Amino acid sequence: AGCHILKAAGSEGNVGPNLDTVSLTEDSVKEMVTYGLGVMPAYGEENILTKEQIDIVSFYVANTAGK
Amino acid sequence: MKKRRQKLNLNRRNFLSGTATLAGLAATASVVPINISNANHKDGSKGLPDFISWKDRNALIVHSDKGIETHRSAIGESLITPNRNVYIRNNMPTMSDKQIGDRNNWKVSIQGVKNPKTFTLAQLKKMGHTTMATILQCSGNGRGFFEHKVRGSQWKTGAAACVLWTGVPLMKVVDACGGIDGSAVFMTSAGVDHEPTGLDPKKAMVERSVPKKVYKDAMLAWEMNGVPLPNAHGGPLRMVTPGYFGINNVKHLGKVAFTTKESSVKYMKSSYRISPIGKKGSQYPSCWEMPVKSWITRPTDETGTVKAGKVQIVGVAMGGTRKVRSVKVSVDGGKSWKRARFVGPDLGKYAWRQFVLETTLTSGTYNIASLASNGSDKQPELRMENRRGYAHNGWKDHSVNITVV
Repeated sequence: AGCHILKAAGSEGNVGPNLDTVSLTEDSVKEMVTYGLGVMPAYGEENILTKEQIDIVSFYVANTAGK
Repeated sequence: MKKRRQKLNLNRRNFLSGTATLAGLAATASVVPINISNANHKDGSKGLPDFISWKDRNALIVHSDKGIETHRSAIGESLITPNRNVYIRNNMPTMSDKQIGDRNNWKVSIQGVKNPKTFTLAQLKKMGHTTMATILQCSGNGRGFFEHKVRGSQWKTGAAACVLWTGVPLMKVVDACGGIDGSAVFMTSAGVDHEPTGLDPKKAMVERSVPKKVYKDAMLAWEMNGVPLPNAHGGPLRMVTPGYFGINNVKHLGKVAFTTKESSVKYMKSSYRISPIGKKGSQYPSCWEMPVKSWITRPTDETGTVKAGKVQIVGVAMGGTRKVRSVKVSVDGGKSWKRARFVGPDLGKYAWRQFVLETTLTSGTYNIASLASNGSDKQPELRMENRRGYAHNGWKDHSVNITVV
């Protein structure tokens, strides 16, 4: 919540891209959450989240980003 | 230590020239690029983020609010890229005026020298003064041409700019500290922009090590193209590492250290490593020296159809860490080449040269390509496949298709 802006989630971070201004597919979110990008941790590879949790987060972000 | 450095450089050279053993490696990456809703600059409803509201929206392609590319036709045809057109790639949020405070009181500490010291910007301005043109280019410039769907901004040609920096030569600063400590192998620069985020410095701090020799041409810059270094480009003080990829030109500079080891932060250890598709790790070369590269800036598919008759084919060419020596242009997809002419002043080996080929084209479609050489290396035809889409200098992908009517 501290890393991105995403209105739907009420988050106001400024480290990663503003998710309200990008449109993302569920697959692309899944890849980034799993393998990380820049300062963003590899939530899947580093076993921070389970596959099921990543699926849920990715579905949510893909369906709320860019709206 | 010397041996190790040579080995690293050799590995990288092999990799860049395509002789590293990449053949036969399975392409396992299955990532999907960001599909950006506001990538089209014609979409006026999506503006620029506040921290760069002063930039020229029409010159820019917005991949995200942290990744903004210059249109191929907007890097400028007078050598220097105007600040309002220069790309943005920020790993950390740009520091605000409030966070920076009094610019003259900005501090940078110099370590790994005989007498470590901390200087304010006001003190640096008394220690020396120089101006130098260098190319700022994101390691991933050209990533958008890779076909294995690489994560990250899909830059084509526009994560690059030729910039005039003014500041103090790092040599002067090192001399004022009694010279480098004898055992150093790397020059390691760190930004302080992670501090306001509260994130773990090991993960978020942009700290980059480059071979120690880079310090001889490096500078600490406070001015960019004639104005105080904008915050969005790392103001009030930025490390300039000529001939090295953008990431090494650390923004919001807080520390320069001469070290025996490479930094252990994420941005050095695991990010920005040029590894085969499906592989990663700190054993692979870091994004250091930029390879020789060129591209056409006019005419392009962005500039519409071209009228039959005399045509000026214009572009930019860079030699990386060596002076660019020649550029050839093809209008038939690389079947035949003609030598182009350099135009404008030579701003030194770290700047790019502009080139022009005057030719006559009749109606039809053409594939226009450019091929630069720095005397020892020339651009390869094809990209060097790698996991994160770094260091692309293949001429074929950078070519443009135009229609002459």
